[in-house]
Amino acid sequence: MKKIKVCGVGSVLLGDDAVGPYTVRWIEANYEFGEGVAVEDLGTPGLDLIAYMTGMNVLILIDSVDNREPAGTVTVYDRAAITRHRPAVRLDPHSPAITESIFVAELAGDGPEEIYLIGITGEAFEVGAPLSEPVQKAIEKAAEVALECVVKHGGTFRRRQQPLPMDIWWENAIQTEVSA
Amino acid sequence: MAKRITIDPISRIEGHLRIDIEVENGAVSNSWSSCTMWRGIETILKGRDPREAWVFTQRSCGVCTTVHAMASVRSVEDALKLEIPLNAQYIRNLILINHGLHDHIVHFYHLSALDYVDILKIPQADPAKVSNLIEGLSPWTGNSKKEFLAAQNKVKAVAASGQLGIFTNGYWGHPAMKLSPEVNLLAFAHYIQALEYQRKSVQAVAILGSKSPHIQNLTVGGVSNAINFDSLGTLNMDKLFMIKELMAEVKTFVDQVYLPDVCAIAALYADWFNYGAGVTNYLASPDLPLDTKNTKFDLVGGYIMDGNLSSVHKFNGFRDDVFTKGVTEETKHAWYKGEKPLQPWEGETDPEYTEWAAEGKYSWVKAPRFQGRPMQVGPLAQILVGYAAGDPLTRKHTDKALGLISTIAGKKIGIEKLQSTLGRHVARAIRASMLAELGEKHWELLANNIGSGDVATHNEPSFPIGEIQGVGVHEAPRGLLSHWCVIKGGKLANYQAVVPSTWNASPRDAKGQHGPYEASLLKNPIADPTRPLEAIRTIHSFDPCMACACHTFDPEGKPVATVKVL
Repeated sequence: MKKIKVCGVGSVLLGDDAVGPYTVRWIEANYEFGEGVAVEDLGTPGLDLIAYMTGMNVLILIDSVDNREPAGTVTVYDRAAITRHRPAVRLDPHSPAITESIFVAELAGDGPEEIYLIGITGEAFEVGAPLSEPVQKAIEKAAEVALECVVKHGGTFRRRQQPLPMDIWWENAIQTEVSA
Repeated sequence: MAKRITIDPISRIEGHLRIDIEVENGAVSNSWSSCTMWRGIETILKGRDPREAWVFTQRSCGVCTTVHAMASVRSVEDALKLEIPLNAQYIRNLILINHGLHDHIVHFYHLSALDYVDILKIPQADPAKVSNLIEGLSPWTGNSKKEFLAAQNKVKAVAASGQLGIFTNGYWGHPAMKLSPEVNLLAFAHYIQALEYQRKSVQAVAILGSKSPHIQNLTVGGVSNAINFDSLGTLNMDKLFMIKELMAEVKTFVDQVYLPDVCAIAALYADWFNYGAGVTNYLASPDLPLDTKNTKFDLVGGYIMDGNLSSVHKFNGFRDDVFTKGVTEETKHAWYKGEKPLQPWEGETDPEYTEWAAEGKYSWVKAPRFQGRPMQVGPLAQILVGYAAGDPLTRKHTDKALGLISTIAGKKIGIEKLQSTLGRHVARAIRASMLAELGEKHWELLANNIGSGDVATHNEPSFPIGEIQGVGVHEAPRGLLSHWCVIKGGKLANYQAVVPSTWNASPRDAKGQHGPYEASLLKNPIADPTRPLEAIRTIHSFDPCMACACHTFDPEGKPVATVKVL
């Protein structure tokens, strides 16, 4: 049985960059998976992505992209498309590091055999802003594409009869009680 | 005529570190450190419930998640004068220890080792000679001819493919690269092995914190882990022993591989003990509390001025008046309004963007100062403060490392040499070996405390109607982190995070004093201005973190880094 990981990547604090974490939470609320499939919100792991991709057969990343398509466009990139460009001179460990992480995991010999990046074109990345409307509308489409990738590699899933509440904590506030 | 070099990883909307240096006669004559992105976490938190602040701050940096979560709960707990149950202190300490080990191992091997290790010399190495070279130096079982041969074959395969991949941007063949093919191979074999060990620390964090990279188990007042030795789904015997095993494996790696590697590379590049001291005022916070009231600690905090170890002043706790009254932030050269140095509780975050101006404003990082002075933070500050204060644990690990370096270098390398580019790497490895030992200790403390029948993990907070202030400090992998909160009527009225990299990457202040990165670059040699490896060595030695990255992937591959020679 193949080990498949679906990861949302991006900062939940920066507008449309939250679309990766948002989409995996939508998937978790609406679907349950068979053995070998894991769904995770990884935030902005930088080079630490390596720690989460090793030992996987298939890695499916969901992230916002800047590819000059209209906002909300869903584009799938395979390994060759992701790694076509050279990694940058790195000053800190935090800059986006998908390409670099793939290379390092491969070097160690335990990187995923298949990698997909499901990119959702974003348009607004303001601090503290919610998802823009076109990106919000693209979530179901992105989730559908991710599920297709899971099935293609032998993973199974089932739609929940009763969806779970979605845990989008960064858009909600809790209430404080005050005592004298 | 000075040449200006800009080292600027431009990555679309997220901004990071930009370094500008002027080079004259083969050395750096002037320097600027800038952060090219605005940090807005403070703005998001105003008006929120203090109990959920840590969930947001944890997201302000994807790599330093845990440390921002920890400083945030400590800040609110300090405002409420809340005691923390012993189990919660030990569980938090174990999380911080494992997170720190992960961070230090990744920093050395995967972020900075290739500043000193020339990958393209590896194919010329004789794997049998590598084994001979280190015989008797370390009992590490991964030091076999077979391992070295396998590592060498990986490099040969990459080189033969014509696609350097991960190695595309290295400064291979640079005149500042000095290691023999065999030592390059040794370090590279460990680079690969380190991937496995850093992951073990991540696993330990995930078991304790319920998840990684974003731990779930913190609460203002303690942790949410339920403790029951016999129950599944809680922190039980099985899980405790899994953590113990993972920590033991990582400790072996640190003792037998990481620390000896750093010492060997330091000894073979000993002239780098003469560069990069920069700002020699050091600031560290106490950490790894041992009691519920945060009065006793395993890591010593305090400050040192002007590189003079005998001037050391120790802090008494997380909230020492000397510390809280001493910290201010200035914005004369940062893209914010106002010029007056402000204490963080009074801190303001009103952006005012101009062009990048060498004599004016040039960074999104404010200039934090302590008693009006720029301060260096990080493992070096922690080690120097602990050593100067006579802490036995710090002395034991530091003397061991200095002894090993001196043996390999064939000359005495004393504590004073640590105030340098190389010293920051050595101090980080010393800190890792201390943390690995302290991991065992805090595991025992936790197991014994639970064994004595104490299963408390949380004290419930209650918020007063009036205004209160708190500071939460943590000696993070990159140095002193402090979160400052003002709570009014149970809501956050102000929140300021003074992160380690703001201390180190600070721009000039109103008096024109350079920040630590800037000062450390002055007089660095630069053999080839088009390939400023030496400047990158010094910057990497700080373990820079221009946190809060926005993480949009650009598949069209716009240029993401430029080294411009102006």
